[in-house]
Amino acid sequence: MGAWGFVFLAYGIVWCAILIYWLTLKRRLRRAETELAQLRASQESQKNVQT
Amino acid sequence: MAEISKTSVKSKGYLGALALIGVLLGLYWGLLHAPPDAYQGEVQRIMYLHIPSILTAYLSFFLVFVGSCLYLWKREKRDDILAYSAAEIGVLFTALTIIEGSIWGKPTWGVWWTWDARLTLTAILLLIFAGYLMLRSLTEDENRAASAAAVLGIIGFLDIPLIHMSVYWWRTLHQPPSILRPDKAPWDNVHPAMLTALAINFVAFVLLYFYLLSRRFRLGEISEEIKARLLNRDH
Amino acid sequence: MRLLTQTFLLLKKDLLLELRRRESLMTMFFFGTLLLFVFHFSFDLVPDRVAEMAPALLWLAFLFTGTLGLAQLFEAERNNHCLEALLLSPMDRGALFLAKTAFNFILMFLVEIVVFPLFWILFNLRPWDVIPYLFLVTLVGTVGFCVLGTLLSAVTLKARARELLLPLVLFPLMIPVILGTIRCMETILRTGELGDALPWLRLLIGFDVIFLTVGVLIFDWVIEV
Repeated sequence: MGAWGFVFLAYGIVWCAILIYWLTLKRRLRRAETELAQLRASQESQKNVQT
Repeated sequence: MAEISKTSVKSKGYLGALALIGVLLGLYWGLLHAPPDAYQGEVQRIMYLHIPSILTAYLSFFLVFVGSCLYLWKREKRDDILAYSAAEIGVLFTALTIIEGSIWGKPTWGVWWTWDARLTLTAILLLIFAGYLMLRSLTEDENRAASAAAVLGIIGFLDIPLIHMSVYWWRTLHQPPSILRPDKAPWDNVHPAMLTALAINFVAFVLLYFYLLSRRFRLGEISEEIKARLLNRDH
Repeated sequence: MRLLTQTFLLLKKDLLLELRRRESLMTMFFFGTLLLFVFHFSFDLVPDRVAEMAPALLWLAFLFTGTLGLAQLFEAERNNHCLEALLLSPMDRGALFLAKTAFNFILMFLVEIVVFPLFWILFNLRPWDVIPYLFLVTLVGTVGFCVLGTLLSAVTLKARARELLLPLVLFPLMIPVILGTIRCMETILRTGELGDALPWLRLLIGFDVIFLTVGVLIFDWVIEV
């Protein structure tokens, strides 16, 4: 493998890994935010029912 | 609460955009603009990744330490979230540092791995981070997990200089840092374009790190609120 | 000092318990000796190689034996709500830390004082006059092991897979002690005196002092109910 091969291998792995992590984070965040919104909504409606 | 999350989302957007610009600039400077090294050739360009990576890894551990100390002192959940987030991202950057170092090592030294000081130390750092994360996931009670991990974070951070010393005394085959030489000024050693490339990539990595940290932190906050609401609901 | 008195009280309790049943001590002793045999078969220790590898093998044997002892360190307190009772009492938690560390150290000392000469005899090692230096280094290293081991034993108290997790978090942090003790002992064996090994010894003592202090200060937060 030539010199540039190693360079691209390193850069490739690094930026792919960071990209994947960022996408995973986005997905986890989206799921969590949906769950939180649902919880908030259901607890708000419960409060309204009680009052 | 809704207003706070809106402004923080906006500022995170700016941070993300800045990080992206920094990364792209860094890529251009590192891969195209800076000249190849006189001795190492093109392979030296990996250093524009490797040096910022290891520095962000250590920054991460420092934040784990700060978060751990603050949490044990004040018992505020956000400090614990900071420590946990910094540990998670720290593992990522430490692992990447090792991979970059290994790939750089193959054409330079002929082997994918040697037990020289810096690679060994980075591997140890990875093990300590991993231990921290394992301790958290294996401890069942949330609060105990947070305290236990905080203590481990503090002990780990205090141990690192000792580990550093012992490994360095034992092994000195890794090249001395070519920038930080006490007898010469930093710019004597290195072509200015290379220094600029390194600086830009360093800033880019730090921005990227804090962007990812802020997102992971937000995830932690939301998880906390979910847990709190579930707890309230069941009681 | 109140701290020391409390430490002695707690230490006395653990020693009495151990004296009556001798579980930890016996298992550690046999395990340490067993490891020597395993090493002999694994490494095919011919006489000229043994001298080089002796410090490493010895210290590895102690390390694994010590880990065994650590797993049992808080066993007594786990039953009958003893730990909660201890924590509710007006004892300084730093005293609990010192007592447990001292207890573990005493156990290891007793094991080492037998296994060390046994190792020397079994493998026909030559220099007998450096043994005091070597034993001193071993003790300093053992202090470091006991200090960090007690801390982490308490930290992992409520974790699942504790027997696996404890070595996992302990060993990377023990690297200064492992490196320091073995290199120190190698230097002593090679040069026949303490001189060149002093930097390593200083590192070990520094390690011990730092984590003893940290342990006493931080143990309040380590052990919680």
